[in-house]
Amino acid sequence: MPSPRRYLAELLTALGLLAAPFVLPHLGLAPNTANRILVWGLFGIGFDILFGYTGLLSFGQAAFYGTGGMVAAYLLTRAGFPSVWGALLIGMLSAAVVGWLVGLIALRRTGIYFAMITVAIGEVFYFVEFNPLADWTGGENGLPGVPTPSLYLGFTTLHFTSGWALYPFLAACYFVGIVLALRIVRSPVGAILSAIRENPLRATAVGHDIHSYKLTAFVIAAAYAGLAGGLLGILQAFMPPEAFIFDTSGQLVMQTAIGGPGTLFGPLLGAAVWLSLQDFLQGALGLGSAWKLVLGVVFVLLVCFLRHGLVGGIKDLWRLLFERKRAETEAPEEATPIRAAPDSMPARAREGDLQAGTILEAKGLTKRYGGLVANSNIAFTVKAGELRGIIGPNGAGKSTFFKMLTCEVPPSGGTIVFEGQDITGKGVTEVCQLGLTKSYQVNQLFTRLTVRQNLTIAALADLRGRFRLDLFRSLEKIPGLQERVQHTLGLVGLTARADTPVSVLAYGEKRRLEIGLALATSPSLLLLDEPLAGMSPRERVETVQLLKSIARGRTMIVIDHDMDSLFELVEWITVLQEGRVLTEGTPDQIKSDPAVREAYLGGVHA
Amino acid sequence: MFTWANFFSQVFNGLALGALLALISSGLTIIYGTLGVLNLAHGAMFMMGGYAGYVVYDATGSFTLAVAGGALFMLVVGVVMERIVIRHFYQRPHEDQLLVTFGISIVMVEVVRLIFTSLSKTVPPPPLLTGITSLGVTFYPTYRIAVVAIVAVALLVLYFILYRTKLGMIVRAGIEDSEMVDSLGIDVYRVFMIVFGIGSMAAGFAGIVNAPVVSLTPDIGEAILVQTFVVVVIGGVGSFPGAVLGGLIAGEIISITSMINPGYAYVMLFAAMTLVLVLRPYGLLGARGRE
Amino acid sequence: MTANRHSRRDFLRQAVATGAGVGALSTGLTPFMAMPVWAKDEPPIGTWPAGSQGSSVGIGVAVPRTGTYAVQGEDELKGWELAVEHINSGHELMKKISPKTTKGVLGKEAKLYVADSAAKPNDAVQAEQRFITENKVVLMTGSTSSAVAVALNKLAQREKVLYVTGISGSNDTTGKDCVRYGFRQNFFGQTAAAAIAPVLVKQFGKNKKAAYMTPDYTYGHTVTKAVQDATKADGWTTVTNQVSPLGAPDFSSYLLNIANSGADVLINVNWGHDAVLSIQQAKQFGVLDKMKLVVPYQVPFLARETGGLMQGVYAATDYWWTIEDKYPLAKLFNAAFEKKYNYKPEWGAANAYVSFAHWARMVEEAGTFYPPTVIKTYEKGETIPSLVGDVHYRPEDHQCIRPVIIVKGKMQKDMKGKEDYYDIIEIVPGEGLMQKPDAFGCKLGDYT
Repeated sequence: MPSPRRYLAELLTALGLLAAPFVLPHLGLAPNTANRILVWGLFGIGFDILFGYTGLLSFGQAAFYGTGGMVAAYLLTRAGFPSVWGALLIGMLSAAVVGWLVGLIALRRTGIYFAMITVAIGEVFYFVEFNPLADWTGGENGLPGVPTPSLYLGFTTLHFTSGWALYPFLAACYFVGIVLALRIVRSPVGAILSAIRENPLRATAVGHDIHSYKLTAFVIAAAYAGLAGGLLGILQAFMPPEAFIFDTSGQLVMQTAIGGPGTLFGPLLGAAVWLSLQDFLQGALGLGSAWKLVLGVVFVLLVCFLRHGLVGGIKDLWRLLFERKRAETEAPEEATPIRAAPDSMPARAREGDLQAGTILEAKGLTKRYGGLVANSNIAFTVKAGELRGIIGPNGAGKSTFFKMLTCEVPPSGGTIVFEGQDITGKGVTEVCQLGLTKSYQVNQLFTRLTVRQNLTIAALADLRGRFRLDLFRSLEKIPGLQERVQHTLGLVGLTARADTPVSVLAYGEKRRLEIGLALATSPSLLLLDEPLAGMSPRERVETVQLLKSIARGRTMIVIDHDMDSLFELVEWITVLQEGRVLTEGTPDQIKSDPAVREAYLGGVHA
Repeated sequence: MFTWANFFSQVFNGLALGALLALISSGLTIIYGTLGVLNLAHGAMFMMGGYAGYVVYDATGSFTLAVAGGALFMLVVGVVMERIVIRHFYQRPHEDQLLVTFGISIVMVEVVRLIFTSLSKTVPPPPLLTGITSLGVTFYPTYRIAVVAIVAVALLVLYFILYRTKLGMIVRAGIEDSEMVDSLGIDVYRVFMIVFGIGSMAAGFAGIVNAPVVSLTPDIGEAILVQTFVVVVIGGVGSFPGAVLGGLIAGEIISITSMINPGYAYVMLFAAMTLVLVLRPYGLLGARGRE
Repeated sequence: MTANRHSRRDFLRQAVATGAGVGALSTGLTPFMAMPVWAKDEPPIGTWPAGSQGSSVGIGVAVPRTGTYAVQGEDELKGWELAVEHINSGHELMKKISPKTTKGVLGKEAKLYVADSAAKPNDAVQAEQRFITENKVVLMTGSTSSAVAVALNKLAQREKVLYVTGISGSNDTTGKDCVRYGFRQNFFGQTAAAAIAPVLVKQFGKNKKAAYMTPDYTYGHTVTKAVQDATKADGWTTVTNQVSPLGAPDFSSYLLNIANSGADVLINVNWGHDAVLSIQQAKQFGVLDKMKLVVPYQVPFLARETGGLMQGVYAATDYWWTIEDKYPLAKLFNAAFEKKYNYKPEWGAANAYVSFAHWARMVEEAGTFYPPTVIKTYEKGETIPSLVGDVHYRPEDHQCIRPVIIVKGKMQKDMKGKEDYYDIIEIVPGEGLMQKPDAFGCKLGDYT
C-alpha cells in the first residue's frame, strides 16, 4: 500500500537536516555541537536497531566505534590512504567484521549475561588499543591530524572543513544512515528483529533462526558504530583513544534511553538533550564538576517515569490529546463471530505418495528429568489428514510429549520420524520449517505488536525460510505474504482487529491469535496444546468450530482437558497416563473404556 | 623473571585479590539470583561503603567502627534504594533495570565527588595489622593477609545465611524458581528488600575493608564492577559458590599474568571469560535457568 | 590534505566554494566575510578579529574536574584564575612578567570560560570547539596529560586559535605533534629524566640495580627509557620494569615482582592518582624499606596525598614554593596564591599562572591579538622573566627553555611547617638539558 505517508519520516528528516543550520544558531547551538549530535545520532541508529528493535542491550558499542574510527584514522594519517570516503568505508567494514566476531561470542547468551559480556569485551578492546596495538593507534595520544573530506563536482570542489562547512557532509551521512535504517526496520528482517525483542521463544518456534538474525543486528550496529567512529575522527581532526572506553558506551546507552529506544530518532534527540544540557549546566549555570550529577539525576528520573524516552513521551502525549476521541468513536467490535472460512488455507504441499501414509511416527519415546520419568517408551503414529486428540490426567506427561514432538526438548531415548524424515535431535526452528509446529498452552505472542504484525512474522518464516538477508526489501514485495496474513486473519476471525496491538486484545482473541500464529506458518502437522484452556463456554464452541474448519486438508493433534469438546472434534484419541500410552480408540470407545475411567478417577483415590 | 619465590608470592597475592573480588561478586550475584536485577550500581556501592567507613574513621579513629559503619550504612542505602527505586522495576524489562541502576551509579559517584572532592582519602589499617609479615618465601603486608581472613569470615557468614537459615532457603529457592516461591505465599517483597540490603552491605563491607589497601577516590567502583562481571560470568550468574570460585580464579589470573607480562593481565582475564563462555556458556557452577 | 596545511588562499577559496556549493549553510563563516574593518595585512583568521572587538576577550579552559586527574585539574584552574585576576587588576607580579600590562590585555578584560574535560581529549576538544564558536575565545588552555595537549595542539592549528599547554609531559607535544599555534611553558618527562639522572648517580653511586614502575602509555615509556639511557653510562641496570595500565586499582602483583627483584632503587614513573596509590602500596609491601624511591617527575599534591612517604625521595619538578628564597617573583606568587586559596601553590598552578602571564606579555608586546603577530613575538625568543628565573621560548618548536628543580622529600623532623615537604637539591638550568628542537621531528606548520 504505497502512500505519500510512507516516506514521511525520510522527508521530515531531510527537511529537518536542511533547516537546522538556519534555525539552530538562533537557539544558541554551536555548529560543532550540531555536528557532534549528528555523529552520536548516527552511532545511535545502529545501537537502536540492536537495543530498541532487537532488545539486545549492549554496553560495549565503544569497541566498534573505536575500531571503525581507528582504522579510518590510521589509513588517513599513517598509511597515506588518499580517499577520506574510502577510509570511512573500510573503517566501517572493519567494525562490521569485528562486530561479527564479537557477536559470535557475546550472542551465546542473552539478557543480562549478554550485557555483562559486552561490558567485558568492550574493556578488552580498550586494553588492546592501549597496549599491544599502541604502535598503530597512537596509544593514549590517539591519532591526530585526520583530514576532512572534499567532493569534486567537475567545476568546483567542496571542502568540508569544520563547523557549518562540515555539517552538510555529516548531515548527508546521517541522512543515508537513517534512510537505510528505515528500510531495514520495515523489511522482513526488521519485523523478525522486533519479534525477537518481544518473544524470542516464539520467534524461534515459528521457524526463524533467531541467532543469525541477532548476529545480523549486532553486525549492523557495529557497522553504524564504525562509520560514526570514523566521522568522529574527521569532526575533530583527531581520533581519540577514549572512543574505546566504557563511558562512551554508557553515554550512548543513556542518550538512547533518554531519546527513546525503538524509534531510530531517539538517539539523535537524546544526544541533542545530553550535549546541550552538558553545555548549559557547565556554561550558563556554572555548575563545574556537578554537571554530571545533574545529568545523572535527570537520567534516573527519565528512566523511572518516561519509559519510552522523550520520543515515546511525545507519542503518548500526542495520543492522549488527539487520538483518544478517535478511539472512543471506534468502539471495538464485540467478539467477531467466527465464520468457517470458505476455503481453508491449504497446508503446504506434500509429496503425493505420502498423502495417505503416516505423517508422524514416534518410537520408544522417553524423557527423564533427573530421576523423574516424564515419558516412557511411547509409541505413537499419526496418519496424514488425521485429527487426533490426546487426553490424560494432570501429570500424565502430555506437554512434555508435545515438546519432544516439536523438538523443543530433546528426548532421552527413542526416535521421531516426520514425513519419512528422522527429526530426533533437530531444533524447533528446523522442524517448524519442515512443516510441524505447535500452538502453546500459555499464549506466546509478540505482545507489543499488532495482530497483523504477529501473523506477518509467522508467515515470513514459511515464505522466506529460516534465515535470509533481505535487509532492504519491502514487506509488501514478498509474494503471497499479504494474502497469507489476510487469509489467516479471516480464519481466526480477527480481520477487524488486524491493526490492534495484541496487548489490548480480549483473552479469547489472544487464544485465537495463538492458533493463528501456528497456522500462518502453514504447517502440514499442527499440534495444539490445550487450545480451549481458560475460555468461556461460548468461546469454546466458537473455537471448536474454528478448529474444525482449519482441520480440513491438514493433520492436527490436540491436547485438551475439555473432554466433551474434544470428543466432538477429533476422530481418534490417545490416552496418556503416567508418561505411557494407556490406550487408543475412537471417542466412543474411550468414553466407555473402564481403564480410562480408572485412570482419571484412580488418580483421585490415590 | 621467574623464580619460585615470586611465583608463590604471586599465587598468594592472587588469593588476596580473589578473595575480595569473591566477596563483592557474591553480593552482586545473590541480588541478581534472587531479584533478577543486575545492579550496575554495585561498584558505586563498593566505593560508597569505603567513604562511609572513612567518615566514621575520621570521626572516631576506630577502624572496627569504620568497618561496622561502612557496612551498616550500605545496608541502609541498599534497603532505601530497593524500596524507593528498584521495587518499581521488578515488573519492567531487564533493560530498564540496567538503565536505572546505571544512572544511580553515576549519581552516587558524583555525589561523593561533590562532598569529598577527587583528592584521594586514606583510611590507615588498624595499628595491630600494620607492617609486614614473612610468609616464608616472601614478605606480605600484614593487613592484606588479614583481609584474606576477614573476607573468608564474611563469606562464611554469607554462606551460613544462605544455607542455614530460613531466609537463605527462600533466597536459594528463589534463585532456582522464582515463580514457585511466589506461589508459596511468602512475602517476596520483604525477602527482596532484605536480600538487596545484604548484597549492598557485602559491597560496602568490601569497600571499607579494602580502603586501607587502595585509598579512596570516587572512581574506584567502575573498574571493580567490570572485574566483578567477569567473575560472575566465569562462576555462573546467580551462583554463590560460583562467585567465590570465579573470584579466586580471576585473582590468580591477574596475579600470575602480571608476573610474566603485566600489560596482559586484564586481557588474559577477559580471554579466560571468553573461554568459559565457549566451553560452558552458563559458567563453571551456573545452572541453566535465569537469563 | 590536512587542515593545517591550508594556505590562506586555500582558506578563502574553500570558504567561497562552500558558500557557493551549499548556499547559506555556511552561515557560520559569513560573519567573518562580512567583517567590515581590518588592517590590510591582518585578514580575519580563527577568532580574530571577532574575539577581540568587544570590551573583553575570552579564554577557553578545558580542564579535568572529574575523573583520574581531577585533583591536578582543579590545581591548574586555580593558577589560571589567579592569573586572570592579576591581568585584569594589573597586579604587581603580572607587571613584573609583562611590563606593558596595565589593566587587562591591551585594555580588554580577560574572561575565563571553563569546562570539564575529564582528562579526555575528546571532551577537551568538544569544549574548546564550543568556546571558539560561541565565545570567540582568543586563547585556549587546559590539559593534565599529553593526550589532551596533543589533541588541543591540533585543534589550535586547525582553528587558528592560540593554545598554551597546562600540564603535558610527553616529548611529542613540542616534538612530532608540535604546531605553530601551540606553546609549552612546562618542561617534559625526558627533560626531567635527564636532569635527575646525574643527581641520582651522585647520590646513590654507580652500578646500581633499578626497578621501574611504568604507566602504560607513551609518556611513561618515554620517561622510563630516558632514565635508563641517562644512567646506563654509570653502570645502572634495569632488573625489572613493571608496566601497569592507567588507573590500575591495585599494584600488588607489580610490587611483589619488584620486592623479589633485588633492586637498589625503585623508579616510579606513575602519575596522578596512580603515583599516590603505587607509592602507598609500595610502603605496605615493604618495598620502600628495601630500596630507595625516586619519582622522576613529581606530581602536584603527591607529598600531601601520600602522607609522609615522600620523605627522602628524590624528584624533579617544575616548581616548589621554597625556591622563593632565591626568586623574588616566586615569593610574590606564593603570597598571592596563599592569600586566595589558603595553601602553598604546587607546580600545576604555577605553570598555569606563568603560561598566561607569558601570553599576556606577548600580546602586549605585539600590540595586537592577531595570532600570527603574537606567535612571531613568542618566536623572537627573547629572554623573559618567570617564577623560576629567566626563560625563553625556542622558535623552532615553541618549547620554553627553563630550569628543572630537583627536590628531596624532607624528614618529618626537619619540616619547618606543615607544607614544607621538600628540600631544593639542585636547580638544573634548562639550556643543554632540553633536547635539540629537531630531536623529535617537530614541524610547526603555517601561520595562516
